[in-house]
Amino acid sequence: MLKNLLVKFLTLLISFLLVNINISTAKEKEVFETPKRLNTYGMPGTIDNPSAEAFPEGQLSVSSSIFGGTIRTNLSFQITNSVTLSFRYARIPQQSSRYRGYLWDRSFDFHYLFSKEKSIFPAVAVGLRDFIGTGFNTGEYIVMSKSLGSRINISAGMGWGRLSGKNSYNNIFGLKDRKGINSGEGGTFHYDHFFSGSNAPFFSLSYNASQKLEVIAEMSSDSYDTEVASPKGFKRESDFNLAFKYEIAQGFSLMGMLMHGNAIGLTGVLALNPRNSPYKSGIEPAPMPLLNDETISRTQSSMDSDIYIRTAELLRLDGIVLLSINRNKRFVDVEILNRYYSDVAQMIGRVTRILSKTVPLGVKFFRINIVDYKSGYPISQITVERESLRKFELMFDGPSNLWKNVKIENSPGAINQSLSLSEGPLTWSIYPDVDLALFDPDFPINGSIGWEAKLAYRIRNSTTVNSSVKQPILTALNDIKRGPKPGLPNVRSDFMYYYRDISTKPYISSLTIDHYYKPFRNIYGQINFGYLEMMYAGIRAEAIWKDMQKPYAVGIDIARINKRNTFGDFSILDKSYSTIIGTVYYDLKSNWSAQLDAGKYLAGDYGATFSLSRTFNNGWEIGAYATLTDVKFSTFGEGSFDKGITLKVPMSWFTGKKSLAYSKTVIRPIAGDGGARLHLDDNKFLHRNISKYDGKSFKDNWIRVYR
Amino acid sequence: MIKKILFLFCLFGLSCTSDDIIRYEKTSFYKIYKDIVVSEPTSTSSKDSMKRQGYDKAWLSRFNQPIIVLSSLNGEKTATLVALGNYKNKLTWVSADGISVSFLNGILIATRGYSQDLMESQQSDLDIIFTQNVKKRSKKYRYINGENQYIELNFNCSLLAKTNTPSVFFNLTIETTKFTEICRAGSVEHTNEYYVLPDTNIVLKSVQWISEANGSIVIYNYYAFQNNL
Repeated sequence: MLKNLLVKFLTLLISFLLVNINISTAKEKEVFETPKRLNTYGMPGTIDNPSAEAFPEGQLSVSSSIFGGTIRTNLSFQITNSVTLSFRYARIPQQSSRYRGYLWDRSFDFHYLFSKEKSIFPAVAVGLRDFIGTGFNTGEYIVMSKSLGSRINISAGMGWGRLSGKNSYNNIFGLKDRKGINSGEGGTFHYDHFFSGSNAPFFSLSYNASQKLEVIAEMSSDSYDTEVASPKGFKRESDFNLAFKYEIAQGFSLMGMLMHGNAIGLTGVLALNPRNSPYKSGIEPAPMPLLNDETISRTQSSMDSDIYIRTAELLRLDGIVLLSINRNKRFVDVEILNRYYSDVAQMIGRVTRILSKTVPLGVKFFRINIVDYKSGYPISQITVERESLRKFELMFDGPSNLWKNVKIENSPGAINQSLSLSEGPLTWSIYPDVDLALFDPDFPINGSIGWEAKLAYRIRNSTTVNSSVKQPILTALNDIKRGPKPGLPNVRSDFMYYYRDISTKPYISSLTIDHYYKPFRNIYGQINFGYLEMMYAGIRAEAIWKDMQKPYAVGIDIARINKRNTFGDFSILDKSYSTIIGTVYYDLKSNWSAQLDAGKYLAGDYGATFSLSRTFNNGWEIGAYATLTDVKFSTFGEGSFDKGITLKVPMSWFTGKKSLAYSKTVIRPIAGDGGARLHLDDNKFLHRNISKYDGKSFKDNWIRVYR
Repeated sequence: MIKKILFLFCLFGLSCTSDDIIRYEKTSFYKIYKDIVVSEPTSTSSKDSMKRQGYDKAWLSRFNQPIIVLSSLNGEKTATLVALGNYKNKLTWVSADGISVSFLNGILIATRGYSQDLMESQQSDLDIIFTQNVKKRSKKYRYINGENQYIELNFNCSLLAKTNTPSVFFNLTIETTKFTEICRAGSVEHTNEYYVLPDTNIVLKSVQWISEANGSIVIYNYYAFQNNL
């Protein structure tokens, strides 16, 4: 009876939405963050239900919900205008669980906005919940949403799997039997069961009481069977959820909710969009204006007669180090060191502005070689025509016109040992250090805080001794309950022994001699020897071929290493391993970059890692990777194979000031031994250091050349 | 435990490095959190904290090079700029604290050093706007967004000239023609004002819009009076 009523209501509702004349006239202004659109799963939706919406492209959201013993923490990303992905770590009340009555579960969601709302037609979206993982929350849905005026939004949909727990009836597609998921060790993609078995409708109604406040009611089809059966869960007394969402500040909202007539809950959402820098064009001081010839001559007559000195002084004001300057007829060749600018075009703009003021008028071209501080490589050579620089400075389309007179190529030389790359050979630092370990069911958020001392000694421009000593002061990492995984040599999954034995003692995080070489114009190489990371010591060599004009590069990374003692001292265990990994890097169009690594991994397994990143033209990167090797999923153990999410956040985005500093986080749900590699600092990988000066990097932000 | 926490606090206080750039990066990093906890992110710089001062002949005579004065609309924030750039009638003025504004015939064509700079502009009738009774004109303003791409605003503007408008500069009252320019690009609109010496392109004072984030500034072209007072 109820089922029939619901079907009729749904049919009526869909018909109403389809024939309803468009009374939604409010055009949405371009927005960057919409934290109010998230549901408790971190996906477009109301409270628990999904809705046919999408976030603004690029939005990154972190949300956390708590109600009735359930906690869901979600990291969501609007990957394109239509596709939303979410990674979730959830605590689920479960009677049979061995972790204090709770199950901790990782899962991924996918949401595709099939069509946007148009005049009389509602928006339509399809979604998959928990489609990679144990399948505990697995469910699929088709949902339609329609605005009624500027304040009311109504959504109606059909759910399968977990979303058909209540008020369900026979499958509308005729797929009667829903196949059970054999999740095995979890972490794999399941698709046989999609949209099969019984289905159930769900509805949502939201009302924007004000710009900041939204009131929501929904009828949910989720039966919460497991949660209801657990004494740590809640009673499901009704199909309805009620909530209010309040946007406290741009990008931050709270939702108070009453779930199924019994559980009171709270959701917090923090959303930001890497496309929306709070500082727009940046807050750095204006660059040196360009002058006419007469003024240049007059200015130069009052400057230091040494071109190097007068140029170096002005460049220093802009944070750029001049290493050498040589005049060669109509060219001036300079070598510079960049330790500030991530917007390389802006840096080149500033260098050329200063050169145009300091070098004699007979010079017609500036040839600038960028030298890497760490390795001493001359990386890229940029040639700019002097008159074009001035001619297009204040012209409309100036940067694109100037671009036609700019040449970017690999620097021709090898590492120049005679340059002075730093004021002295020794650099040191002492700063706090934080180490986080996530996803352990015993301690879902675990970590340590202490200090890290770094000491570097530059023997030659191409050779440096680098060291890092750390000491955890407050730590819970020494009490990790889990043990190593069986089945493979323990190359990574025994990491807890290191934390346990180091505890709060100081340890050598790394101590290496790093030697860099550049035998040919397009080939860059390095050798690292010593204590490479907390768990390994040995020798590693990397070489890459990179043409600054090409969007691709290839590299090879070879390591012969031994396990270190678990106390982090100088001793080395008699367990040796090797890796040989070849890599292809490719900058795809439309702000995507791909990387394919293939070869032999630490545990002796052979396979490949595919990484894909959405790169923002301001330093942000959000990506994911997966490693599949010849290790069986069952041998790998929990998670089936190595995979993760990477997030790179540039500091300049938050400060508006020039800076090369960034923070990179790898969210690796499961540490296993299959597909394992050395854990090295990001700056130990050559491609990242070199590609920031390639043709694409200049072209992508060339409009900043006159900033 | 308390000892450890105290030790950590001491450590935070004693954090240091021999490398200026690492120090700059770490300081900037901690400032992000400080700004969140203590106040809004800093969007102003020292150029906004300049105190109002009296502008008179004595003050002007201190400068031996051309100057202009920029002021916020309420007059509380001012900056003195000197001419540094000049190329094909385009003049660029620079302040000591790092802002620059570029003009062609007294009309703002670009800024640098603001949080949302006017990077480029394409404007019609720039050379005849004040002399040939231009009623309507168009202009394109370009800005950089957070992802280093252009944001373009296409303004349609209407101009109204009011002759015999008295304007006071120092102790002089000068008859000027006041041009009021109302521009609209979708939901974005602004009004510029130019006080021009009659029948010339010499703008003595103007109110000109930079961007949505930075609003309008008042520009006093005092260089027109230098050596003439």
